Amino acid sequence: MSISLNGVTKYFGRDLVLDDVTDEVPLGSLTALLGPSGSGKSTLLRIIAGLEPLNEGHIELNGRDVTSVPARDRHIGFCFQDYAPFRQLTVSDNVAYGLKVQRMPKAQIRQEVDDLLRLVRLEAFADRYPRQLSGGQRQRMALARALAIKPDVLLLDEPFAALDAQVRGELRGWVRSLQRELGITTILVTHDQTEAMEIADRLVILNEGRIEQVGTPDTMYDKPANDFVQGFLGPITTLNGVAYRPHDIELCAPDEGVAATVTDVIRLGFEVRVVVSDHNGTSSWVQLTHDEAQRLNLIVGERVSLRVRLGAKKNRGPEIPEVFRIKGVESTSD
Amino acid sequence: MRRSPVGLRIAVLCYIGVLIGVPLIFVFQQAFIHGFGAFWTALRDQQMDHAIFLTALVALVAVPLNVLFGVGASLWIVRHPSRFTRVLDTIIDVPLAISPIIVGLVLELVYAQGGWFGSLLAKLGWQVMFSFPGIVMASIFVSLPLVSRQVIPLLRELGDHQEQTASTLGASPLRIFFTITLRSITWATAYGVSLTLARVIGEYGAVLIVSGNIALVTQTLTLDIGANFDNFNSYQGFVGAVLLAMASIVLLLILGVARHRERKRNEYLA
Repeated sequence: MSISLNGVTKYFGRDLVLDDVTDEVPLGSLTALLGPSGSGKSTLLRIIAGLEPLNEGHIELNGRDVTSVPARDRHIGFCFQDYAPFRQLTVSDNVAYGLKVQRMPKAQIRQEVDDLLRLVRLEAFADRYPRQLSGGQRQRMALARALAIKPDVLLLDEPFAALDAQVRGELRGWVRSLQRELGITTILVTHDQTEAMEIADRLVILNEGRIEQVGTPDTMYDKPANDFVQGFLGPITTLNGVAYRPHDIELCAPDEGVAATVTDVIRLGFEVRVVVSDHNGTSSWVQLTHDEAQRLNLIVGERVSLRVRLGAKKNRGPEIPEVFRIKGVESTSD
Repeated sequence: MRRSPVGLRIAVLCYIGVLIGVPLIFVFQQAFIHGFGAFWTALRDQQMDHAIFLTALVALVAVPLNVLFGVGASLWIVRHPSRFTRVLDTIIDVPLAISPIIVGLVLELVYAQGGWFGSLLAKLGWQVMFSFPGIVMASIFVSLPLVSRQVIPLLRELGDHQEQTASTLGASPLRIFFTITLRSITWATAYGVSLTLARVIGEYGAVLIVSGNIALVTQTLTLDIGANFDNFNSYQGFVGAVLLAMASIVLLLILGVARHRERKRNEYLA
């Protein structure tokens, strides 16, 4: 089911948290709402679910205006960041909750719950209570509970934020393949750009309640509409006032590039980050491969020159309206 | 577990012994000083039986009303916060801060004949003061916040995500209340109920004033005990005191269970 947001505007008291948000989420897509904390992304998700009223605008699900339809009639699967397990109920009763509301016959509920638990690989935990599950298991239970009502749309609020790194990685891949398999239109809120690019086929970047850019992860990374998007989707290094990704910069012989001083060398396995500062003291970094770094044998305090690698993209969209300052790295429009 | 220091143990045990242990033993010893037969006869004292009956009846009305009010007010204050509920949150605590005697006096001034509401109610043929409704009113007043004080912090801690999830699954507000909210606050409410019950059956000052303390009519068990001591009938008084003490001990046991359940819940939260 497609979701269309039309001029969605929301105030908390006098604070404008969503400013005229308009977007069309295509059927079967996995869209990541990406933005820093306070950008309004979770509020937008709650508004789509009907858990939060909006001040202006319209929401349509597959052409049906649901703006004033309460959450319980929207037929949307929603998962909170804390998974909100029903603590007093067993895993299977948690999953069965929505089906009992629909007054489905008992035998059929048992069948459906069995199928769902198998789908989320919790069949061995049917009679446990949520407190007896690990974080990842609770998340899968919440997902099964939301999917039980066969929702038209699945909304996930920071689904992986509360998990440790390894479980997070596994679940990301699993959720992605599950979403593909079921073909359910999904919106996922996250503040983690790596996660968003890995899992989503469509990104919506929010900042201060406004959409900065919408597109596929690839186009967003290579052609960010502005400095905010560019800075948010990954690190940037400026050279002569133009922003580049750190892996598009290389070190070269003096006179061939911009002079800088090495202030730190950080080894991350196959990748080495060389932190440099230019004559203004502005700090940024260059990404080298392990081999390159070994060959150059850089030491802190060494004077080097930077230049753009052959074939690197000038990492910029066509129209750049404003000047931003991001993460201590100054960049201006060209 | 580390052993607690001997000095600390002695200090705590002495404190409890002097304040609770010794008086409690004394009350039981005095009540059974003439043997079980005499105790049994004293129990069947007409005046005391009426007082027990009245106390039970007051508790039967006052406690459920305060539970309904306490849970309702807690839900309103926590789930629909506004400037008004912040004021309400504070007002609910007022009965704990006011001396029961003052509560009794104020209720009497307002509801007795010639008082603000008293005159109006008298015209309708309702006598509130010096009768059952007055006693219930005073009992409700003094135990007003005991349920909500248990439920409000728990509701805050639980948050509303479970309830909101249930609503996205199609559940009606009533269904959410009974299947999610009520099941989460059951033990906290039970704890509040025991505190309320203990307060209601043990209340003396406020009830003394609003009831008029008429034997066989408006005398509750605590008032009956007081009257017996005043009339140099202290044996009868000790028998009544033992009854109250036993009721409290049963309540304490219930509280112990409720607390234990609460602790289990907290282990999960941690």
